[in-house]
Amino acid sequence: MQIAVLSGKGGAGKTLLAVNLANLIEGSTFLDCDVEEPNGIYYFSEYFIKEKVYSKIPVVDEKKCVNCNMCIDFCRYNALIDFIGKVKVLPSLCHSCGGCQLVCPHEAIKEKDELIGWINQTIINDHQIFGGELKIGKETGVSIIEKILQKTSDEEDSVIDCPPGNGCSVMESISGADFCLLVSEPTIFGLENLKMVYDLIKIYNKKSGIVINKAIKNNELIEAYALENNIPILGYIPFEKELALLNSKLNIVSEGKYRPYFDHILEKIRKEVLK
Amino acid sequence: MIIVIPTKEQGEKSFVSEQLGRANYFYVYNTDKLSGEVIDNSYKNERHGAGVKTVEFLLKQNTDILITPRIGEKSLEILLETKIKIYKSNAKIVKENINDFLNDELEELY
Repeated sequence: MQIAVLSGKGGAGKTLLAVNLANLIEGSTFLDCDVEEPNGIYYFSEYFIKEKVYSKIPVVDEKKCVNCNMCIDFCRYNALIDFIGKVKVLPSLCHSCGGCQLVCPHEAIKEKDELIGWINQTIINDHQIFGGELKIGKETGVSIIEKILQKTSDEEDSVIDCPPGNGCSVMESISGADFCLLVSEPTIFGLENLKMVYDLIKIYNKKSGIVINKAIKNNELIEAYALENNIPILGYIPFEKELALLNSKLNIVSEGKYRPYFDHILEKIRKEVLK
Repeated sequence: MIIVIPTKEQGEKSFVSEQLGRANYFYVYNTDKLSGEVIDNSYKNERHGAGVKTVEFLLKQNTDILITPRIGEKSLEILLETKIKIYKSNAKIVKENINDFLNDELEELY
């Protein structure tokens, strides 16, 4: 079973849920796909083996290039520009799709490897831990996420800490998930962000459920939306200073008195997946 | 000499746009001919790289001087490889920014 933990905004509690659920699932793999802000792995350890991740960027052979600009017109990310009669590659905008090489009629484009980030990995007790890390200044971490997801298999249980929002990197992160756990705060902003991610997972036809984090008041905001759209509410994490403090000091809170909240959520997820 | 300014509205009486890559129009002024031209920014709604496409546009116009309130990191990096000089616009309209530049009253950014 693969559980992806998502939310429309940062700070909703994705990492809190992902880390603690992974902790409770025996032998599970933890995959931190939030490559722009990878912090989930530090709950488990501070020592990692670092694996480099490369992606392909185009290199233009000026001897072969006739400045037909077909590659420039093709690139929807504008990673190629006409720079005073020469094709200039802007690696920071490149999404490594390889299209420019395909459309070039003169075979003037080759690809080279460029370092875009790392995968930090370790094994703690019976958990394998993997966390992607995007190199500062790089536009997209999708290829790092692809590599992280290859670290696990369908037979293994795994929990994915997704990036916030509903962009390409989230789509990649949930591609193989059996269940999408939507973490939301009971605020109007939280609700709007929840709608955004729910709209995305509907397209992918994924099973899903909501956890309300920082639950204190106004829970009905989220509950009404869940009822209207027939999304199960799997549980509530209380809005408590003690919990926040423990979590901010990298404690795995499902080890102590807060464990029942996470046990309850996990049990509900298992039921939903079997439905 | 060619001076380019990103503008909100069309023409020399417009205010300078607050953005460069996503400006509505560009005002391209030729100091030798004493005439200006309004050009639509066809890349203002690009999801990625509007700024770098603006640099490409500036190069095609044989721009000597860019007058803008600000410039993004990626565009600047490429512009620094060119001969284009960048000046900081003031709060006045486009025409007055050009006059102020010609009277050496604008600050050179890069």
